[in-house]
Parts: sequence; C-alpha cells; structure tokens
Amino acid sequence: MYVKFPEGAAKRTDAAAAADVLYDAVIVGGGVAGAIIASRLGAAGKSVLILEAGPGEDITLKGYEDYLDRFYSATSKDNQSPYPVVANAPMPRGTDARRIFPGVPNTLGYIVQNGPLATDTTYTRVLGGTTMHWEGKTPRMLPEDFRTRTLYGEGADWPLTYDDLAPYYNEAEFELGVSADVEDQSYLGVAFDEDYVFPMKGLPLSYLDRMVAKDVDGMPVELDGVRRELHVRPWPQARNGIPNPAYNGGQGYVPRGAVSTYQVEVGGRCQGNNNCVPLCPVQAKYNAGKTLAVALQSPHVHMVAQAVAYKVHVDHDTGRVTEIEYRHYDQPDGTGFTTRRARGRLFVLAANAVENPRLMLASGLNSSSGLMGRNFMDHAYLLAWALLPEVAGTFRGTNCTGGITDLRGGGFRSRQAAFAIDIHNDGWGWARGAPMTDLVDLVDAGGRYGESLRQGLVDRVSRQLQLAFMIEVPANPSNRVTVDPAYTDHLGNMRPILSYDLPDYTMRGVAYARQLSKQIFARLGAEDHTQYDPDFWGYAVYGGEGYEIRGGNHLAGTHMMGGDPKTSVVDANQRSWDHRNLYLVGGGSMPTVSTSNVTLTIAALCLRSTHAMLAQLASESAPIKITATGATQDRPQEVAL
Amino acid sequence: MTGSTIDNRHDLIEYLHRAMVLEHATIPPYLTAYYSIHPTTNSDAAHIIRVVAVEEMLHLTLAANVLNAIGGKPRLTRHGFVPSYPTYLPDGERDFTVDLRPFSHRAVETFCKIERPAMAPRGSARLLPVSDLARPSLVTSPVDEGLRFYSIGEFYAEIIEGLETVAAKEPDLFRGDPARQVGPEHFYSGGGSAIRVTDLASARRALRFIADQGEGFDHGIHDEDGELAHYYRFRQLQLGRYYQVDDDPEHPTGPELGIDWKAVYDVKVSARLSDYPVDSELAAVARDFNADYWEFLGLLDDAFNGEPSLLQEAIWHMFRLRDGINRLVRNPLPGSDGLHAAPTFEMPVGVESTPDVSLTAGGAVEAVTR
Repeated sequence: MYVKFPEGAAKRTDAAAAADVLYDAVIVGGGVAGAIIASRLGAAGKSVLILEAGPGEDITLKGYEDYLDRFYSATSKDNQSPYPVVANAPMPRGTDARRIFPGVPNTLGYIVQNGPLATDTTYTRVLGGTTMHWEGKTPRMLPEDFRTRTLYGEGADWPLTYDDLAPYYNEAEFELGVSADVEDQSYLGVAFDEDYVFPMKGLPLSYLDRMVAKDVDGMPVELDGVRRELHVRPWPQARNGIPNPAYNGGQGYVPRGAVSTYQVEVGGRCQGNNNCVPLCPVQAKYNAGKTLAVALQSPHVHMVAQAVAYKVHVDHDTGRVTEIEYRHYDQPDGTGFTTRRARGRLFVLAANAVENPRLMLASGLNSSSGLMGRNFMDHAYLLAWALLPEVAGTFRGTNCTGGITDLRGGGFRSRQAAFAIDIHNDGWGWARGAPMTDLVDLVDAGGRYGESLRQGLVDRVSRQLQLAFMIEVPANPSNRVTVDPAYTDHLGNMRPILSYDLPDYTMRGVAYARQLSKQIFARLGAEDHTQYDPDFWGYAVYGGEGYEIRGGNHLAGTHMMGGDPKTSVVDANQRSWDHRNLYLVGGGSMPTVSTSNVTLTIAALCLRSTHAMLAQLASESAPIKITATGATQDRPQEVAL
Repeated sequence: MTGSTIDNRHDLIEYLHRAMVLEHATIPPYLTAYYSIHPTTNSDAAHIIRVVAVEEMLHLTLAANVLNAIGGKPRLTRHGFVPSYPTYLPDGERDFTVDLRPFSHRAVETFCKIERPAMAPRGSARLLPVSDLARPSLVTSPVDEGLRFYSIGEFYAEIIEGLETVAAKEPDLFRGDPARQVGPEHFYSGGGSAIRVTDLASARRALRFIADQGEGFDHGIHDEDGELAHYYRFRQLQLGRYYQVDDDPEHPTGPELGIDWKAVYDVKVSARLSDYPVDSELAAVARDFNADYWEFLGLLDDAFNGEPSLLQEAIWHMFRLRDGINRLVRNPLPGSDGLHAAPTFEMPVGVESTPDVSLTAGGAVEAVTR
C-alpha cells in the first residue's frame, strides 16, 4: 500500500503563525530520527513542529522520479547525485574529499576538513534525510558492543544493554520494514524474543554470494588463539520482501510502498535493481519519507521546511532551552531569508551527529562535560577487489545481499578493531568506478564497439568481486566536530569543521582485514587486483603498508550518552544533562559504533526516547502545585524508564 | 429474465477459464500504451496505466486460484488464450474493439470503456438474452453464447452465485490441491495481495475483489480499503485531476495531473508481424519478443499448476519483456510512414496448432476483421 503524504503538508504551516505557538515539541530535522519521534508524539496527541533544512516540497512520486532522473543523467553517480544542490542547506559530498596537508584544511566542501585523515563521509539534507541514499542494511548491535570498555578496554560503555534496547529493535524493524530471518541473524549473542519473526522474510543471497559461500563457508580463521569458521550470511535489510505471515502473532505485515500525495502503487517489493545507493528506483527500500508522511497525517504535526536552525537559545538560570532561532529561506538558491523562532516545551535535535553538535556549538553550548562534538565516529572502510575464476553474475541483485560477520565480535577486540565484511553485488564500483570505468577503458583503450563492446563489458564485470570491510572506530575525544566564525555557509550558519584520524586499534583491524582478504581470494582462486594508490585522499600508512580508507556515512558519537554528566552529553534517554527540556537524538548519542550500520539503532533509540519525552510532557504539563509556603515546586523528577 | 447458467462444476470451470482469458486480454493493450510513453516523462499517466496492468495480473492470478480450488487446470498456452488485436473484449462486447495503441486520448477512452462500471437494469436480471439489450453487453456466457452479461462485474456475480449453487449440491466442489494456490508470499503489489482459495468464502472474496477493483462495483469510486477503482483511475487522465476520498466522480479535487500527450512513441496501432519488413533486424526483435512472451505464459502455466514459487522467476522475465518492448517502440517501422514498431503479441509461437476443444467452447477470443 502506498503511503499518503497529506497534500500541502510541506507548506501548510505558516512560519510566522507557528512562531506564536508553544508546541509540545520542536524537532530539528526531518530524517529518520525526527520522523519517528514526530510520528509517535503526534499519535499521542502532542503538538509537534518539525524544522526541515531542505527544500519544502510535498513528497510525491513525481518528485521522487525527479531525483531518479537527476541520478540517471548525472556524470558522477555518488551518494548525493540525485539530490539538488541547495546553497542554503548545503551537503557534504564524497567528491569533495581531498588529501589534507598539515595546517591546510580542505574547505572545498561543506564540511571543513582539518584531517589529518580526509574522509568522504556524507549526509543528505532533504526531506527523509540520509535514508534517501542509504543502502538499507539493518544489523542489530551485538550485546558486547554495549560494553566494550568493560570487556575489551576500548571505547565507552553504554548506559543501556542489548536487552534494554531489544524491544525497540523489534519496533524499529517494524517501522523500517526489515526483511530477514531470525535463524540467520542469531549469532554472537544477538538473541530474539521467543516466536519473534521479522516483518518480512529474508531476502535471498545473490548468485555472487553463493559462489563466494561455496568456497568460504567453513574457512577456518585463527585470531587471538581462538579458531572460528567464516560463513556467508544474508544481511537484514529495510527493503520490501515477502511479508512473513507469522509476523506479530500471525497478524502478518503489510509492506509500505511509495510515498505520494495521490494514490500510487509502487514500492511493493524489491526488484533487485542495483542502485539502492543513492536511490531505490521503486521505493522498495525504506526512506524516512514513509514515516514522515504518516506523522504529518496527524493534524497536530506541523512542518516548516527551508528552515535551517541557526541558534539554540537557553535560559541561563534554568539551563532550559527557550526557543530555536532559525533562518527560513525564500528560495533554495536565493539569498533572502526571514529569521523566525520556534517555541516548545521540549526541543529535539534530530539533525545528525555532525549537524547536532554543529548547532549546539554555534549556539555557544559546549556542554558542561566539554564533550559536545567530541568522539566523532564513523566506520573506516577498507576495500579489496579481485577477479573470480569464473563468471559469478556480478551486478545482479541489490547493492549488497550477503556478507561475513563472524569477526564482528570476540576477545580479539581487546587488541584490534572488529569488522563486518560486505560482498558487493556492484563489483568494483566503489573501489574503481565499475562498470563505467570498464566501459570507458573498453572503448578508449580497447577500441570496442557494438556486440563486441557489450560482450567485453559482460566478460569484465561479471567476474568482479569486491569485499568491503566495515571496521570499527572507537570513541576518541580528539576526533571532533567544531565551528569557527571564519567558516560560514550561504545563510550565515557556521559550517562544521571535522578533525579526524584513525587510532592504531582501528589500523590493526585494517591491516588484518587486508591479510584476510588475501586469504579469502586465494581460497576462491581469485586474482587479487587490490592496489592502494598513495595519492588517494584517504591513504593511510600503518606498519609500513599503505591503505585506502574511505568513510562510511555512519556518523556517531558527538553527543555521547552515559550515566554520568561529567563524561557524557546526554543520558540513556538521549536527554541533555545540561538542558533538561532538550533531547539530542541519533547516532551522536551512541558511545560505540562497533560494526553495525547505524540507522536501525538510531531508530530504536528514538523509539525508546519517545517514551521519556511523553512522560516528561505529562509530568511537566501537570498543574503546578503551590506549597504551603507559596513557593512553586521544583521541576519534576527525572523520568525513569 | 433468464435463470442461472451455471449448473455444475464443469460450467464453473468454463466460466473461470473465460475469466482468465478476460483478465489477461487487457494486459497487452495496457503494456503497449505504458511503454509507448517516453521514458522519464508522463509520470502520472505512466503510473496509472502501470497500476492497472499490475492489478490485472493479480486478477488473472486470483481467477487461477479459484479455478485451481475447484480442481480445474489453468492453461495460458492454449490456442486463443491471447486474442488477436484488434479484438472485441473476450466476452462479446460489441460497441468497441480493443486495439494495441500508443498512449493517447483514444487509448484512454478505450481503457475507460474496458473498465466502465455498469449495473444491471433490474436487480435480479443479471443475464439477459442478447436481443433484450438496449446497449451492447460486455460479457457473454461461456455456456450459452446467446446470453450476455451487462458488465464484467455481473459476470463475476454470476460465477459467485454459481459457486454457491454448485457447492450446495457438490460438497466436494473445492477439491483442488491447496498446494496449487498462489498466496501473498508469491505475489503482491500495492493494490492487494493474492488470496488463497480453499472454500466458498475465500472464492467469493477473491472474485468480489476482482470486480470491485475493476469497476468499483457498488461502492463508488473507492473500494472499502480506500483504493480507487480502475475506471476512475483512468478517468483521472481525462479529467486532469486526482480523486480524493468522497469526491464526486465528475469532479475530482486532488492534485492536478501533468500530461504531455506528445511525449509518446507513435507506435503502429495493433501492429502485426506482417507489417515488419521480412528478414529485417526489427522483425527478428518482434519475433523474439513474442517468443519471450510465449515462454512467459508457459512459466505462468507452471506456476499456476503446482509451482507457485515460480512467480519469483516471473520478475526477471518481465524485465526481459520490458527490454524487448523498449527495443521495438524506439525504432521506426520501415514502410509505415514514420510510425514506430510495437509488440504484436501474436501467439502461439512455434507450436503446432491443435485446437483445444474445451477452449473453443469456454475461452476463445473472437477476433474482428481488420
């Protein structure tokens, strides 16, 4: 069934009139975190205002197809290629990455990069946020990922356990529409409720996955004195598959299709197109527009788009946020804007792990712990590529269906970083631009055309195997987001400045990953073509060997949660320690990024936080009792969950 | 007034074969119009046609489920299953013919006629002698060619009533192997999912669903689930606006549609292989397409005869069909004054002609002379 976006909802809220409303909650950001919170608060009858930085058009099928057209006709097929460049709400772009030389930051892109390591990490500032371009993998975090400090002496412990989050993982898997089978996803301590099934059945492994599995399944690996076996395992994915009739005690599950203001029927089931990133052509892949459309069906949920938060205002006596000042631009590329304010009982920053601290720091709110913007995390990606001895049908299926997850956890994490491995159905696309580069080479160097060109292309790409190692990066206070008035964007907002490097812990994981890739290729009889270019912007040397390191767009850590206000920015409910009516939500709250793509965990954390928000609203909007002495009571007690 | 034409299981099987022929017959015209639209243009129109085409595929599947439930054997590769276009609708309607046309006002007009709602003039008089009709009818009875239904919806109502009658007489009517049923895990589209048919109640549900989704039956423009009936989907192309719930059928109030009637490959109407220059590359592509389509019908035969999970394979088959049509419609057809090539859907392909007796009685499509 399609998801109806209420016609006119993107523009129905008058920004001037909204300034006079005291909303129950003001949410900054219309991505997955903001959409989920808006939908739950709205469903509970709370009034909500969403401020969205991106252009404010209703989400329609036609608008989505404009993204597709832009992608199809773009020369560069990078993550942002479908999305229009909006000067007033700029986005980082992978193609802006450059080698960074000491003392000379790269100011080319929206994010000012201090280095020393450059990154191509991105996020998307349109309605629906980065879930527009995400790939859709939804692994849960491992139980041990919540306790890496205690268990391995690395990173930080969470104030939550896997069991605390598990019910919200269930709910997040519903909200995002995850296809997976419990028997495939129960490993390394990940446990599911008895009788739990995912909303939809697991998506099949690609032919390429199965070719790899034929030789890799059972491959012994000894690490840190422990022998284990590798296996190719399907990834859980937020894309529509076959609904599981056993879901929800036999109630089944109805997949959510495309979003539009008018009745459409697309997005039913994944067709195996190979461009999940940067855009699913048929909306079988979840994007937060699906949740946002439902949220906006509530008359209590308002949205002002083209609204870029500029400053968080705080009452310095109470620490409470009084309003968010934002710049409401007239046209995506015009210079005109109006300064507006948004007032609420609660404020929720759901921008992302770069934009949340950027806004706080630009507002002069460094947090009493001094940790605002610190402990920036992402995944470090190492790619290894080879040619298989026989045709393996590469480029069939979605971008990625299977991987090797056996080294996501274990005692070795006290010494080196863990990782998950993706088997890429898009061949050497990420590493070397296949199939476009193959095409150009066949034409320019090979002089091929017609039938011979077509066959040549098939011969070249259908044996390609690319493994992507998604390697954990532990929290490190010097990896951080800062601001500087010297760097502002078109609207006068301070741009994020990123300082980033990888610790030896991660580099040991990188070096091990490369060695393992050689062993895997040897076992497959594959010809290793991996060569790391010393001129590559993300070239990093460790132990005398150089590697190309790429970003993962899995932003985390910049407003870390914890049990102690001195060592964390938010509590387990993502509620700011300093500003008790402010929630900073999303990846920034995560103390470890470990080896999970972050969206599912972000969704679960936000679903959990909505309970705290509702409880806080209920307690704070209760009539204030006057005591015998005439003094008002203290603010209500913390909400315990 | 005429009594029921369905007396036994055999009659029901004939009716359900005809239902499958009917549901399928609309798909080639919809696909031709859909793929004639220039890529990336006419999103509104393309999606409306696409949805209806996909839902006809669901209807075909539901009819197969009912047929299977009573022990019948669906057969899409029988002679005459695919009509020769232009054709009268498989069921005897005589006031218009269905062509394979590019997207155009005329094509939409035909689509509205195919899907138009009609109600019996008298409550109980569903089936009327041909001579008794003031206007042409849509559907003939497969067991008595002299009798015609007033609408497709009533054709299905007749089957439902027949199922009730026969089930009362034959307790083992629903004797089909449940493993032959196509369930929601094998097929779903946005507009509903496959209903497994194992008894009278589920059969009734499946057939009512087809009728409702097509013409709106008696629920107005939207069905109970808020889904717009096919007729009204097409009306949106004529009226220029989307419907919203509770709209007057003549005055939709939703967002405007943007239609560019010129962003269309002007394909030859109801092209035949004989229109293609002999031995041309294009003729080979047209023949290949027909062979692929025939193979696809064979796959559906297998899926509807005990291997429902084969429908997963149908996905890449359909991509191949899409590619085949695209190869045709983008090329001018030599000797046709600039008109473009189009798939001809001439079936069967590469098999001996051995007319199937039960089909000529129950499902053959009547061609019109060109």
